[in-house]
Amino acid sequence: MAIRKSRRGPRGAAERVEGLLVMLPWLISRKRVKLSDMAKQFKLSEKELMNDLMMAAMCGVPPYTPDALIDVFVDEGEVVAEVPLMFSRPLQLNSAELFALQAMGSAALSMPGADKKGPLASALKKLKPLLPKGDVVEVDVKAVKYLPEAQHAVSAGQFVAIDYFSPISGTHSSRTIFPRAVFEQMGHWYVRADDDQSGEIRNFRIDRIKQFTPTGKTSEPIIEGIEAEVDFFGTDMETATLLVRPAALRLVETYPYISREPQSDGSVRIELAVGSQQWLGRLLLRGGDAIDVLEPAKWVDLGKHTAQTVLKRYS
Amino acid sequence: MINLLALLVQRTKPLTLKQIRQELVGQYPESDTAARAAFERDKGDLRALGIPIELMTLGGDQAGEGAYRVDRKSFELGDLGLTDEERSALQFAMATVRVGASHGDEALWKLGGERALNAQSTSLNIQLDDQLMATLADGVVEHRTLKFSYKGEMRSVDPYGLLARAGFWYLVGFDQLRADRRTFRVDRIEGDISVGDRGSFSRPKDFDLQKAVPTEAELLAEGHGDDAVATVLVDASLAGGVRTQFGNQAVIKEHADGGVEFAIPCSNLTAFRVWLFAMVDNATVIGPPRVRKQVISWLTEQAGGR
Repeated sequence: MAIRKSRRGPRGAAERVEGLLVMLPWLISRKRVKLSDMAKQFKLSEKELMNDLMMAAMCGVPPYTPDALIDVFVDEGEVVAEVPLMFSRPLQLNSAELFALQAMGSAALSMPGADKKGPLASALKKLKPLLPKGDVVEVDVKAVKYLPEAQHAVSAGQFVAIDYFSPISGTHSSRTIFPRAVFEQMGHWYVRADDDQSGEIRNFRIDRIKQFTPTGKTSEPIIEGIEAEVDFFGTDMETATLLVRPAALRLVETYPYISREPQSDGSVRIELAVGSQQWLGRLLLRGGDAIDVLEPAKWVDLGKHTAQTVLKRYS
Repeated sequence: MINLLALLVQRTKPLTLKQIRQELVGQYPESDTAARAAFERDKGDLRALGIPIELMTLGGDQAGEGAYRVDRKSFELGDLGLTDEERSALQFAMATVRVGASHGDEALWKLGGERALNAQSTSLNIQLDDQLMATLADGVVEHRTLKFSYKGEMRSVDPYGLLARAGFWYLVGFDQLRADRRTFRVDRIEGDISVGDRGSFSRPKDFDLQKAVPTEAELLAEGHGDDAVATVLVDASLAGGVRTQFGNQAVIKEHADGGVEFAIPCSNLTAFRVWLFAMVDNATVIGPPRVRKQVISWLTEQAGGR
């Protein structure tokens, strides 16, 4: 169910009716809402919303006299629905909406610093009779050191001195960052921040921050919402084509791939974006003889060389 | 469609199709066949929105005739008594935990709340495609068997639950092909999923979703290796992460240079290798001798042969 299901083109009649049955109770509970605010809330253009409201205003019960029609109109830029005749109660939640609520509840309450006795917890308690019985949806949220501090730094506009470990170079660096957002992706927490060392906005994996110390300097917070998955790879990154046998598929498939072609012997030819030679060397070491590099030629022996490096620690 | 719903909701008595057509003048075609088809289409659309139209058989003068009614209780959400503060908390949490493109927003609207329009400082991305979420939710919430292709085979699965972990969604259920409980990574499901009838199975009472999908640490202990635990020296740069993963109870010794010796499960040697070599040359297995020898053997083979 959606107010706008398709991103482009006109919405179908059923989609518009569906939207109205969600919007009308929402509007009736508020009585008056600015047209522009309501359109934005429901992801519609003002024209689309006007058309939907006009359609609703022509609906009702026989004999379709003014007092028997849905009482909704626009007055000086405000949508008004003050006299509820019908559709004053919202529709029941469907399976996907219940699923979304339960997943959100599971995740939000297991985040570091979550108030398990606060308003979210009490809201979920009230929703419990509606939610599916049993733990049908769960979200594991990884706790990492400095996550609450990073969240606080964003909202407080703090400059922070960090000691950051880069596994690619195997080195530590000291930087001062100005955090703009904290986000979780692919099981890891990141802080997105202005970085004094590079002069750019960078994403730092929080579990690689060894020291996190506010400098005492603050500025107006800049909160940058992370609306979609962050593309860590970009378009100019090198790629490698691997032949992955079943023993290493589980490992390799935890990374985003460009293409994947199953072979007749059960192995899979996978093309991956490669963040760095060190990253690929590590992957090859972990996969052992279950991964071969097919292309490019310069990385065919990378697994071998990485193993030689590690072997030195045992000699 | 709205007029049909309004009519059936407002009228206290069930209405026959003939009465409906008389009331909704001009809204259905004149031909009986076409009117019936249009009515059935509206009925189907309303059912898809979760609004069931009941068919009843009349008695008395209209004995045997079918009539339709809609019970408001069957589709309207009751008052849950949410406070404004609770709605705001739901709004904030839904904006932080990104579960899907629209289902969360729609749930908020139905609960009288609003979707957040401002940028949030924290976000947790566990997104599922809108349609995929709806299909999987139908399966786990309404106990419908799901059929889909996975690793080239058609599977019929009674879905017990969905777990989001480390960036992936996992579907856990009873796989009728294997006649056993199995875990499927949702992004590896090939093509469309077909959904069976409501109430097709019962979920076992002892089912525990968290335990059904082992963590990496649990995987390390699930095996038949000769040694259950290895001592691993981790350099200072990565010791903090290992401590977070395995807890302080895994710490054996802390070295002056910041390196830490940990006791790590290694019964599953394959999983242990994957875990250990993620640290490349920042970690060394100290013992037991058999495990250390095996690690050296892996490295020697890879360093020399390929």
